[in-house]
Amino acid sequence: MATPPIFSYEVTTKDVEGLPDARGNSIKAMLASNYGVEVGTVRVILGYQVRAEMTNEDAQRTVFDLFADPVIEEGCVNETLLDNKMIFPIAPQIAITTGFKPGVTDNAAQAGLDGLLTIFPSISERAEVATSRSYLFWGVPEEISSEWLASKLHNRMIERAIIANSIDCKAGNWPSLDFPDRPALQQQKPAIVNLEVSDEKLIEISQNGLLALNLGEMQAIQAHYRNKKVRIARGTRGLVPNAPTDVELECLAQTWSEHCSHKIFAAKIHHVDTETGEDCSIDSLFKTHIMTPTLDIQSKVDWLLSIFHDNSGVIAWNDDWSLCMKAETHNSPSALDPFGGAMTGIVGVNRDILGTGLGARPIANTDVFCFGPPNYSGPIPEGLFHPSRVFRGVHAGVRAGGNESGIPTINGAIIFDERYLGKPLVYCGTVGLMPRRLPDGRESHIKTPTPGDIVYMVGGRVGSDGIHGATFSSLELTEESPSSAVQIGDPITQKKMIDMVLEARDLGLIQVITDNGAGGLSSSVGEMAELTGGADLDLSVVPLKQAGLSAWEILVSESQERMTIGVSAADCEAFEKLADLHEVEATAVGIFTDSGSFIVRFGEQTVADLPISFLYDGCPQLQLESEWAPPVHEPILFPQANADEMGEILCKLMARPNVASKEWWVRSYDHEVIAQSVIKPFCGVNHDAPGDAAVIAPIQGQTQGAVISNGIAPRYSDIDTYAMAAASIDEALRNAVCVGVDLDLIAGLDNFCWPDSVESAKTPDGRYKLAQLVRANRALDEVCRAYNLPCISGKDSMKNDAILDGKKISVPPTLLFSLIGNHSDVRKAVSSDFKNVGDHIYLLGETHQELGASELAFMFRDDSGGQSGIGGAVPEIDTARNLSMYRSLTAAMGAGLVASAHDCSDGGLATTVAECCFGCDSGSIIDISSITSDCSRIDAWGALFGESLGRILVSVKTIDCAAFEAAMKGHACYALGRVEADDQITFNNGDDAVLSASMADLRLAWKGTLDGGAN
Amino acid sequence: MVDTPRVAVLSGFGINCETETMAVFEMAGAKAERVHVNRLVNGEVRLNDYHIMAVPGGFSFGDHLGSGRLMGNRLRFGLREQVREFVKSGKPVIGICNGFQVLVKMGLLPGDEEVSLTQTASLALNDSGHYENRWATLEFDSNSPCIWTQGMTRMRVPVRHGEGKFVTGDRTLLDEWAKSGQLVVRYVNPNSDYPSASDNILPYPISPNQSWRNIAGVCDQTGLVFGLMPHPEANHSTWLGATWTREEIEHGEGEGMAIFRNAVNYVKNSL
Repeated sequence: MATPPIFSYEVTTKDVEGLPDARGNSIKAMLASNYGVEVGTVRVILGYQVRAEMTNEDAQRTVFDLFADPVIEEGCVNETLLDNKMIFPIAPQIAITTGFKPGVTDNAAQAGLDGLLTIFPSISERAEVATSRSYLFWGVPEEISSEWLASKLHNRMIERAIIANSIDCKAGNWPSLDFPDRPALQQQKPAIVNLEVSDEKLIEISQNGLLALNLGEMQAIQAHYRNKKVRIARGTRGLVPNAPTDVELECLAQTWSEHCSHKIFAAKIHHVDTETGEDCSIDSLFKTHIMTPTLDIQSKVDWLLSIFHDNSGVIAWNDDWSLCMKAETHNSPSALDPFGGAMTGIVGVNRDILGTGLGARPIANTDVFCFGPPNYSGPIPEGLFHPSRVFRGVHAGVRAGGNESGIPTINGAIIFDERYLGKPLVYCGTVGLMPRRLPDGRESHIKTPTPGDIVYMVGGRVGSDGIHGATFSSLELTEESPSSAVQIGDPITQKKMIDMVLEARDLGLIQVITDNGAGGLSSSVGEMAELTGGADLDLSVVPLKQAGLSAWEILVSESQERMTIGVSAADCEAFEKLADLHEVEATAVGIFTDSGSFIVRFGEQTVADLPISFLYDGCPQLQLESEWAPPVHEPILFPQANADEMGEILCKLMARPNVASKEWWVRSYDHEVIAQSVIKPFCGVNHDAPGDAAVIAPIQGQTQGAVISNGIAPRYSDIDTYAMAAASIDEALRNAVCVGVDLDLIAGLDNFCWPDSVESAKTPDGRYKLAQLVRANRALDEVCRAYNLPCISGKDSMKNDAILDGKKISVPPTLLFSLIGNHSDVRKAVSSDFKNVGDHIYLLGETHQELGASELAFMFRDDSGGQSGIGGAVPEIDTARNLSMYRSLTAAMGAGLVASAHDCSDGGLATTVAECCFGCDSGSIIDISSITSDCSRIDAWGALFGESLGRILVSVKTIDCAAFEAAMKGHACYALGRVEADDQITFNNGDDAVLSASMADLRLAWKGTLDGGAN
Repeated sequence: MVDTPRVAVLSGFGINCETETMAVFEMAGAKAERVHVNRLVNGEVRLNDYHIMAVPGGFSFGDHLGSGRLMGNRLRFGLREQVREFVKSGKPVIGICNGFQVLVKMGLLPGDEEVSLTQTASLALNDSGHYENRWATLEFDSNSPCIWTQGMTRMRVPVRHGEGKFVTGDRTLLDEWAKSGQLVVRYVNPNSDYPSASDNILPYPISPNQSWRNIAGVCDQTGLVFGLMPHPEANHSTWLGATWTREEIEHGEGEGMAIFRNAVNYVKNSL
């Protein structure tokens, strides 16, 4: 049969007064903002290639019925807009057309196809759509080449570009792309992998197959296939008895990957502390420092419903509703394709929520990113993008993923450090809401699978995209990292699926559900098979994006937007009918059993038989060495500075990317969909002062709320990861306290992103990095116990290194601590902005001379070219003192005594006061003498810029001061000054002016750094 | 007389504000039902069994090929007669944000007497070129026939869109619509005195998208079909305001509720 004809559509903005080509203008602004390149004019033409059985008349009709807007756009089919002198009277200087490579998810094309079928339902067979974009440039500076421009407009890993340079443009040779046809795949028969080979060969098999299994693990697999009983069982199933199939080996590699089984957190660690002489053995950091404290807290409270074993942790919020939360990282894919990587990160963690219990509704996202500095001017290793491009791409990916899914992004942070150049960290978190009980009476946080339930794969199809994501993220990034590990999410397919799944849940049609993330079907079906004791899966019926995938590829592909759901045989018809209504693909692909084995077939042929016990408990425990020796740092060199010069220092500090306003970026996230947003990312009279924690009231019309916050402090890892972890947890809690969280119902999530910490030739300092992990875990244990803050879910990403140009770049050890808590009455929530001129300003909590690894120390280091060090005391934590103060403050808020409260962290007291003033369009006069006289050994630097933990800056109306001071009796509570009407912010130490600055200058500095200009 | 108006709140394909849209109609005394577009197309439910139709905000079909275009086509091709019958029988319709884009792209707004479903206006990309979530102040035309906005003067609401710049192919239409009170709601400077709606485009971000004549929403000639880019349903309670922590307020219903109460009361009294 002949292939249908291709129709080529072009669309561009009409040239009408008052209607700019906003797409072109965005490119122009992006070039100026990212690269300092000014071009004259940029126009954009959108292209759609449609391959379908249509007549020319049909095609003409769809120009303005579908592809182009008849009011604001020009459009044509099988013509070239650039040849139309009415539209483009002057030929562009450069024209660049970009489009996806074959096989890459093209959401606009999918939408175009859907739209085409709305108009012509009968052409569905073999209709295909592909999109492209043409960028037309006028007024390009001479030194800018068309190749350079093209490199900034597409990502070679997933996109193609065709360039027409000035000669081509003069001649009217416009760029055009072929239809992105995928070459047909030849399906490979399942192979047998001989493991009766030398140890070197075993390692080779693992490396060549991107399995990321070490020798011990390969030997454990070898041993399994030597087991007599195993061999007999395999023989009866028609499998080669003494060697794994490639399907089995891949399935084991996924399940045992660091990504899926957290081997470093489960390892036996020999830990030595050269400072104290400690020499001990730790049997699993996870069990010792995360699970045990949480279980101890669980024995004392009644609201920890489901912890550790499900896709997210579940807490009882009230009698009717429970909340759950999960945070994930998507670092490696985001390094290779920032947009797609980040987008799959956010839609992926949304599915963790959907896959919790019998299905929870995602109601809020949080995003925390760590990037190289946006103004980085050093060399960029081959294969990496400049941090500002990574930033822009990640931001756009999370924006699309969150906004299009209708899930508000309510809280987050963006951190900058040169060491994130090699691997950016992209943390995506999601909060879920579910009814405690379903209409059929089942508790929704408990999965209820039974052998005999039918396994459905729901949502997207399986493709060659996303093969080896789990094992790939368990390896360091290199120039050879595979593009198949990169995907682009499809939020609309997922949104349709979420709508359908939640309806199915409420109809009682779901017995068990989990998402297809890392490891694909091998993990999702495998994990649920653990619950019933087995599963039998047929890969031949799995819907594919592209025919010809081999069995192992179908099993491990991480193609997005898929859930695996167990449905009772009696409910299958209703389930499929519901899927049809929502236009969601749902396919029965197997059955849950109690056979003890995960059986995988391809039609008639059995291709894998893995005993559940071996699959989940067969991976040998790692034995690792850890050794702590405190690092040595040069001290900070403090300049001589008068009050005005101190003002300038504050100004520079406010402009540091870590402190600067992120408003331009955050505004393009929808933070208010679902109409629940009580405390928003921004507050204050001009809606531009930074908030602390988010408060949402997720049941419309009700006043009980939930608080969500984050803490992250990787700077301190340079001195001590114990301090880093403690600071992260305290920051998350302080943020929550600032808005009035209910301290009796708070839960946390620990999300570790570490550099490789297993000693090897590639990682000679593995012992130290592992000791850093041990210390961070000890802090997590001690601080969470003290704050009664159980960790209900967590994740670790343990290979955040990049080897590029032979140089290794490791991220600083980073812990993101996320918190979710209850808010008893959102009408009493407090925001961070000062409210009225004349209000009294108080600092709560003790300040010490703690400037080691502070933002100020890093600024002096950067500005002095490394002359000044970051050494010094890092903030110490006093959990009992802090918690007791937090409780008193919470009570004062409940009594309505607190006008504003703001967390005191990056940049210390000085930046905190300035931020509170932004929200009131005010200044303030502060006297720090009470702080300095109360603590020994503290100077003005420490008082103004130190980052001591447990501190909150509040303001109080004059009329409430006496009651507030009484409420805070027994706690460190310093009356510092008042909110003033004028533009000046002044810090005095008694009679001496220490720092003086204009708020207008500070605002300009604070807002200028990260003004993205375009998108 | 209708005791409890029934509201069809459309859902599916990336509509995502249906939960809060249902909630505000319930708060206003109606009975709101989530109705998947395909349930109307396949005849499982009939639009005419409802008194009000609401097309909520969201990202139907990811806003690819222009926001609201594909959902507009689903309604224009799949539900053409049901929609026309509904509108011609004098029942109120609202489109919010993406729902407004849908109603404009399918030609229901600003619309014509015959309900011919011919597109005459559009919502272009914001001049900023990107999506934004920020709060704006709106002013209503007190002479408008719009039944949704009767008695309203100003309202503070969030805008959350990337394509909200109201434009038209023929500028003379703007004068006609102004005359018939169809340019019912516009962005205004919150620090100005009421009334101060103006045809001159206000600076960003007072006008977040640089809409022509600062238009935030329009109605049809009858005043029954109404759409707007901002989200009144997101300000259903005082504690959802942008600056409520700075204000001395009695907590309760938010500024956005008046719109939904107007329509529910209209149905109760007039249908």
